[in-house]
Amino acid sequence: MRRVLVVLVAVMAMPIAPALATELDELLERTRSAEYSAEQFISCETPDGVQDAFVEISQSGGDIRIASNANDVEVSAGAGLWTLSRPDGAVTDAAVDSARTLEDELYDVDDGEQVIFLGRSAQSYQLERDGILRAELVIDDQTGALVQAVTFTGDGDVYCTRRFVSIDASAPVGTDKQPVESVAVDQVAESMLPAEVEGFVRLDHYEDADGFSFAYYSDGFFSFALFETPSMVELPGANEVEFESGVYRRAFDAGQASYVWPTDDGGMALIGDLPPDLHESVLAAMPEPQGDGFLRRWWRALFG
Amino acid sequence: MSHPSELISAYLDGELHGKELATLTKHLSSCGRCAAELEDMQRVRSAVRSLPVLEVPGGLVPEADPVVVPLRQNRGFLVGAAAAIVAVVIAVAAALAPDPGSVSIDELNSRFGARASLDPAFGPAKIVEPAVFGE
Repeated sequence: MRRVLVVLVAVMAMPIAPALATELDELLERTRSAEYSAEQFISCETPDGVQDAFVEISQSGGDIRIASNANDVEVSAGAGLWTLSRPDGAVTDAAVDSARTLEDELYDVDDGEQVIFLGRSAQSYQLERDGILRAELVIDDQTGALVQAVTFTGDGDVYCTRRFVSIDASAPVGTDKQPVESVAVDQVAESMLPAEVEGFVRLDHYEDADGFSFAYYSDGFFSFALFETPSMVELPGANEVEFESGVYRRAFDAGQASYVWPTDDGGMALIGDLPPDLHESVLAAMPEPQGDGFLRRWWRALFG
Repeated sequence: MSHPSELISAYLDGELHGKELATLTKHLSSCGRCAAELEDMQRVRSAVRSLPVLEVPGGLVPEADPVVVPLRQNRGFLVGAAAAIVAVVIAVAAALAPDPGSVSIDELNSRFGARASLDPAFGPAKIVEPAVFGE
């Protein structure tokens, strides 16, 4: 009888085992179906300093609406449609109607750990790629909302922290999208850009009537887009940074990095959320910067 | 044989050979008129060859002298002037040409956002503060 009691006490003392979720896709699928309204704080330690932001989020039906407290700019995104609305009513938008997904899982996800977040029961998971911790995700048990995401650089330093400071699961605000005429981008058959770089796989390559073309790369969690444009891209507030592959202009936002550089045919830009320790090696695999001298600008201005 | 004046000229020019030369020689020996013509033609040729070679006096062709040298000078001037005009055109065109660096990062952000919204990882882990960079 005593042995039975010991076993019973031992079983009761064990933490409740969370549902095994070792596939990243399963975790992400669960978070995409969540519905809630929340406030999120974003803070990123970038090579150019700290970038912070405070936003309001509402997620419903896989679509997300994000509103900035700082500038009254609002973004509605989901299902290939992205719309930015300004306070004056002006809209910038784009639509993508097809996309390829990554076939191989590059991330290992642990079995999770039960935690309390904002006084609510949640599960915390660690994501490793090639044995390196790259992210910690906290998922609310009740709603499935991704209430906290911390990303790391290759040496273990925190890159970005996104965490909810409040959540309201009872009254998710709808993300009724306004019909707009979007800039439609279409897939191109062949791409001259690298098929894979630093574990990031080129999933798609698009182009549109404005003369922009871009390739979308993902490693299953982080992603970036590489743009080729008919002229140099303006990047307000950018700093100049020099790598072995050339000189770039770079700007960090809370959660995103942007690089722009001139090429023989115009300009290129990289926009993405990949950690800074991967920037240089990814850029080195892309077309290198070319001098944007006086004669080059003049020649392009006259002859395209 | 009639009086072959053409053959006499050819003979004086050393152009007769063989049968033609033998025929003319035989004719000259029996024709005083052709023999006299031969002597006359030889005398004229000798007289012409004995004339002194004269230099063309300056000014005889007045339009030739002033043109040659100034033409070279004008060519250099014209090339220089053309190069200067081209340089000015380039400078003006460059100054007036629109700055091609007019692509806004907002345009690219919208496309990246649209594509990222189809990504399985799209969600709060990838949110960026909405902003308008072009203003």
